[in-house]
Amino acid sequence: MIYSMVLSALFAELTARLTSLNDQILAGMNGMAGRSWFFDSIVGLTQGNDLIKAGLIGCCFFAAWYSGKTLEDTRVRRKVLLMTLVAAVCVLATTKVLSHTIFLPRPAIESQKIYHLSGQELVEMKRTNVRTALDEESQKDHRDLVNGDVKTNDLGSFPSDHAGFFLAISLGIFLASRRIGLVAIGWTVFVILAGKMIQAEHSPLDIAAGAAVAITELSVLRFAAQSRLGAILDKISLWTFKYNALSAALLFAIVFEISSTLFHVRALLALLAAARVHLMVG
Amino acid sequence: MPRTKNISIAFKALALALGALFLLTSCKALGKDGLVLMTDDSYKATVFATNKIGFGSPDGILWNQGKLYLADEGGVALEVWNQNDGLKKLMDGQFGAKSPEDLVMDPQGNIFFSDDDAGGVWEVDANGKQRLLAGKEKGLFSTEGIALAPDGSILVGDADAHEVFKVTRDGDVSVFLGREFEITKPESMAFDDKGNLYIADNEKNVLYLLDTNHKLHVVIDRKDQFSPETIFFSKGALYITDSHASKLYRYTPNEELKTIAAFGGQLKNVQGVTVDERGDIYVSIQSDLKHNVGFIVKISKES
Repeated sequence: MIYSMVLSALFAELTARLTSLNDQILAGMNGMAGRSWFFDSIVGLTQGNDLIKAGLIGCCFFAAWYSGKTLEDTRVRRKVLLMTLVAAVCVLATTKVLSHTIFLPRPAIESQKIYHLSGQELVEMKRTNVRTALDEESQKDHRDLVNGDVKTNDLGSFPSDHAGFFLAISLGIFLASRRIGLVAIGWTVFVILAGKMIQAEHSPLDIAAGAAVAITELSVLRFAAQSRLGAILDKISLWTFKYNALSAALLFAIVFEISSTLFHVRALLALLAAARVHLMVG
Repeated sequence: MPRTKNISIAFKALALALGALFLLTSCKALGKDGLVLMTDDSYKATVFATNKIGFGSPDGILWNQGKLYLADEGGVALEVWNQNDGLKKLMDGQFGAKSPEDLVMDPQGNIFFSDDDAGGVWEVDANGKQRLLAGKEKGLFSTEGIALAPDGSILVGDADAHEVFKVTRDGDVSVFLGREFEITKPESMAFDDKGNLYIADNEKNVLYLLDTNHKLHVVIDRKDQFSPETIFFSKGALYITDSHASKLYRYTPNEELKTIAAFGGQLKNVQGVTVDERGDIYVSIQSDLKHNVGFIVKISKES
C-alpha cells in the first residue's frame, strides 16, 4: 500500500516535471519563430521541401551503401542498412498505432480555444502562447486554423513520425558508417526536428516518444539480426552484389521514398485499402 | 558472435524497450484523449451525456420539448432521455431493428426511424406502440436519412437502392427521387422553413438542395474536404456534422459553410446533430461502436 502510494507520488512528480520541461523547451524553440521572415522561410524550406529536408538523409544512405573499403566490409554495412529499412517501416507502423492510442494536441492547436476530455468532462485548456512563423506556408496554415479549415489528422501530434522515421534511418546509417551517420544524425536533430519545434508542429515530448520508438525498434531488430533475420539479410546483401544493376535501381527507389517519408508508398497503400473496401462493400 | 555479447545486446534492447514503455506510459498519463477545438470562439463545449446514463453508442439524435430522442445504433434501441426520468427504451432489438440510424418526429409525437442494417422505416407512436411501417419487402434495404414531408408522409433515403422513397402512414412506398438524380448515399435529410429539402450524400460528399419545384441543386461539393454525415435545420441555419473531417458546421446561404468546432481523439467520430429551443447544439459521438462507447456533446453559446 505504502509502496504504491510512494510510486504514484513519484510518478505524478515525474510527470509534472516532464510536462514543465516539455513546455520550457518548446517555448524556447518556438520563441525563435515569428521574428524574421528570412529565418522562418529557411526553416520552412527545411520542413516543406523534400529535397532539403530528407534528400540529404537519402544521400547519406546511398553513400553508406557503397562506403565499405573491402567487399566484406560493404556487405556488412549493407546488411545493417537493410535491417535499418525494416526498422524504419516498423517505426512508422508503431507511431501510427500510437497516434490512435494516445492523443496529445499539436502545440499550434493549443493556442486556440480547446477543450480536452478529462474523465467524463470537457475542460477548457489554458491557451498557450505560440508564435506563428512569418513564412507564407506557416501564415496560410495559421489562417486555415483560425478559419476552422484544419484536418483532423493535424489536431494531434503524438508521437512524431518524422522523429521516429528519420532517427531510425540516421542511427542505422551511423551503425553502418560512423562518419556518414554523424552527418545524418546531425541533420535530423538540428534541422528536421528542431524545425518541427520552432514551427510548433511538435513538442519535445512528441519527438522524444518518436525517438524512443526508433531506438527501441532498431535495438530489437539489431538483436534479431543476430539470428534468423540475420541469415535472411545475409542472403539479400549477397544478392545485391550478384545483381548489382538491379539492386542499384531498387536502391534508387528506396532512397527516393526515404526522401519523401514514404509518402508515395503510403498513398499507394491507402489506395489499395480504399480499393479493398470498395470491392468488398460495393 | 560470442554468447555474452548476444546477451548484452538483448539486455540493452530490453532496457530500451522498458525505458520507451515508461516514457509512453508517462505520455498516456499526460494524454488528452479527446479534444474539441472551437473554431468559433463564441461557443463552448460540455459533455451532456455519457454511457453512464445507459445508452450504447447513439447515431441519430433529436431534441423535442425537453426530451432527447436517440437512435442508439450501438445499443440497438430507440431511447428517450429527460432530466426527471433519465433514459427510457422505446424500442429495443427484440422487435427486429438492428442498427437504428436516423429519426424524425411528427407534431403528434409519433417517432419514425431508419435502420441501415435491418432496412425499413420503423415507428413508435405517441402511445408507445411499435410497428414496422415498411420493410425490406417493399424495397427498403438499407435506410439512412429520414425526413417528415409537409404532407405528413415519410421520406427515407436508401443506400443500397441509391434512391429516396416516400412512405405513407399506411406503409405504401413509392420512389420520390430515383436513380436519375444520381444521389449515391442519402445519409441525412432535413427540410428548411421554405419547404426545400436538404440531402446529405456522404459517399459522393455533396450537400444537395431539392427545391419546391422538385429540382435538385448542388449546394456544397468540396470533394475530400467535406463529407456530410447528419444535417439538422433550425432557425434559418443548417447544422452539419462531418464524420470524415470530424467537424461541426453551420451553413446558411448568406454565410456559406462555417466551422463551429473540430473534434479529435476519441471524440472524432461525430454522428448525429440536433438543436434545442434555446439554440444549443447536441452532437452524438460514436467513440467505439463495437464496444458501445459514446458521448453526447453540447455546444452552446458563451453566456
